[in-house]
Amino acid sequence: MASHLETELGKLRGIIIKIGGLAESQVAEAVKSVLSEPVSEGKEVKKTENKIDKLDVKIDDICQSVFALQQPVASDLRFIISAMQMSKEIERIGDLSMSIIKLSKSIKEKHELISKFNITEIAREVEFITAKTNECFQDMDEDMIQEIFALNNSIRTKSTEATQNIIGEMKSNSKTVVSGTNLIIALKHFDRIADHCTNIAESIYFMINAKTIKHEKMIDKK
Amino acid sequence: MHKIESQNVNFYYGENQALHDISLSMKENTVTALIGPSGCGKSTYLRLLNRMNDLIDDTKMTGSIHIDGTDIYGNSTNVDNLRKNVGMVFQKPNPFPKTIFENVAYGLRVNGITDKKEIEERVVTTIEQVALWDEVKDKLKKSAFELSGGQQQRLCIARALAIKPSILLMDEPTSALDPISTSKIEELIYELKNKYTIVIVTHNMQQAGRVSDNTAFFYMGNLIEYDKTKSIFTKPAKKQTEDYITGRFG
Amino acid sequence: MNVENRLANKKRRSQKVAFGIFSFTSYSVVALLFVILAFIVVKGIGAISWEFISEMPKNGMTEGGIFPAIIGTLCLVLASMIFAFPVGVLAAIYMNEYVKQGWPKKIIKQMTNNLAGVPSIVFGLFGMSLFVNKLGFGDSILAGGLTLGLLVLPVIIRTTEEALKAVDDTFRQASLALGASKWETTSKIVFPIAFPNIITGMILSIGRVSGETAPILFTVAAYFLPKLPTSIFDQAMALPYHLYVISTSGTNIEASRSMAYGTALILIIIVLISNLLANALRKYYGKKVKMN
Repeated sequence: MASHLETELGKLRGIIIKIGGLAESQVAEAVKSVLSEPVSEGKEVKKTENKIDKLDVKIDDICQSVFALQQPVASDLRFIISAMQMSKEIERIGDLSMSIIKLSKSIKEKHELISKFNITEIAREVEFITAKTNECFQDMDEDMIQEIFALNNSIRTKSTEATQNIIGEMKSNSKTVVSGTNLIIALKHFDRIADHCTNIAESIYFMINAKTIKHEKMIDKK
Repeated sequence: MHKIESQNVNFYYGENQALHDISLSMKENTVTALIGPSGCGKSTYLRLLNRMNDLIDDTKMTGSIHIDGTDIYGNSTNVDNLRKNVGMVFQKPNPFPKTIFENVAYGLRVNGITDKKEIEERVVTTIEQVALWDEVKDKLKKSAFELSGGQQQRLCIARALAIKPSILLMDEPTSALDPISTSKIEELIYELKNKYTIVIVTHNMQQAGRVSDNTAFFYMGNLIEYDKTKSIFTKPAKKQTEDYITGRFG
Repeated sequence: MNVENRLANKKRRSQKVAFGIFSFTSYSVVALLFVILAFIVVKGIGAISWEFISEMPKNGMTEGGIFPAIIGTLCLVLASMIFAFPVGVLAAIYMNEYVKQGWPKKIIKQMTNNLAGVPSIVFGLFGMSLFVNKLGFGDSILAGGLTLGLLVLPVIIRTTEEALKAVDDTFRQASLALGASKWETTSKIVFPIAFPNIITGMILSIGRVSGETAPILFTVAAYFLPKLPTSIFDQAMALPYHLYVISTSGTNIEASRSMAYGTALILIIIVLISNLLANALRKYYGKKVKMN
């Protein structure tokens, strides 16, 4: 028979997995919208956004409750702290995805830019890093954390390069300025989504090892 | 109509007023914690619910207390029957100097149950219910005093539950126990909630947080605040409550 | 030597002195007891024999035995206990468990204590007027038993009360909280717990009854009865009275002297045996209380 506290923590874990899954689907939608693939109804996306917000509030509520009523310690304490941090990060990912979807509507003639400058690859990597982060939490796999940091670095490098290229293109072809600018913003958002994923990975590291790390430092160590 | 309803209860020990105008109602199958500093009246209030204060000379009560809609201080109430329905567990474990089996059987015997089989069945079931069976199944005929403090207290809970009360009153049931026994009993309370209405007096606030659905904060014989436990511990309405909860006084 | 050391030494010295005084007084008391016992044993052991215990007195109390006195004393003990024990215990239960605090209780307690202080010879006189004369029992075991019973009643009441008070109130509360009535609580929980200590009260009373001389003077004791009592209306001999008589007013005091010491020894042995027996009972019931 699970104790009262264990039941609450189990509930919490389930909600984090759920909200992570929802965020993952939002990122997929964002990617689709940028790459001009068929997307879901605007209504559906909005619904998911609301769900994410609600779950974020619920996570806060449960964590507050557990703090006040159960006095968690050690790994339980780290879990609760991490849960609150991760929830915020996931909620931002959801927000950013929504922004990207909105932006995409104004990126006309983007296909050329996209194919010219490797945007597809970046987008796929962002999808991948999101999925990896969810998997990392579910399995509590420390090795995946390294992967996530590496992926983030790759996305950063690639998006910086792509941005430079698009700026160059905009300079030479003024017709591409509007699409180009929006695409650059979208790329920035993708970049930040990847960042939030690494923040989540840091929280997972904290849960496992009771140590705080910064992903930049980790890579430097390597 | 709630399971336990008190209205405008005042209580006096001789000239000294111990409770002031307490109105409090508790729903069925909930755990209500009564918290507050020493001498605030929470134990006094608890003992009104099964009329244990009747045992003290020179006391007076005004106001009313209804259980299942019946005024328990009314003329038609038989006190022994009331106590059969409202069980009590005390601060210091107090099993009788009898065998483990007889401790639990005592309540059945004094309530008219004589059938040997029935007694045996109820004793076993109740001991299982308090998660004590595995530890005592081979020594039912041994003295209850051979058990540890935590086991004795669980035995006392079994003793109270054997006569199938609907309400269980607990007066600081774990204050004399070590942390592991305490947490075992807290888990038990959490489980018993489904079948019983429980009122628990505790001077350990964290315990109130862990086990109860609702919490009543008493101070100097007054009911300061009564709300869902979660609210009391996250956003108490009264400053006094907040000061007590955060340890700034009491 | 500095101040601290001086103080420490002073304390040590005064502690030793105090301790010395206490040990001395304790050992003195024990020594005194041994002296008395030794005195009686040494003087009386010569008279002890099977005939002494089992035969009737012969030849003007200078020979034979003290069998009827032994039987008489035992009968009196039994009679007084049959009366005093139930009455005393029930009275104590009533006073401790049922009477509310306040002046009625205080008065009853005071009266009981006063009764305990009444000189035994006054009991004897009272017993004679009431039981022997007024109620017409005559000089008899019945009269003597009742009188002795009255004598030890306060002792039994007091010790039973103390025994009941010593029972932790938490047991009563637990029992009542289960819906047991007051009487059920008293009889099934409190009394069994207090029983071993109540037995102690009975021991004290038996010892007292065996040795009381004054009450039985007026109500039952016979100087010389060659036959044993057959009913409670009969007179009987008794050890303490017998001891007094053969030591002071027998037909031949010197010759009876050894018998007197023998009687004293037997009396002490009876008290000792009843103490041991009752202690054994106490232990037995003490265990039983835990197991049941």
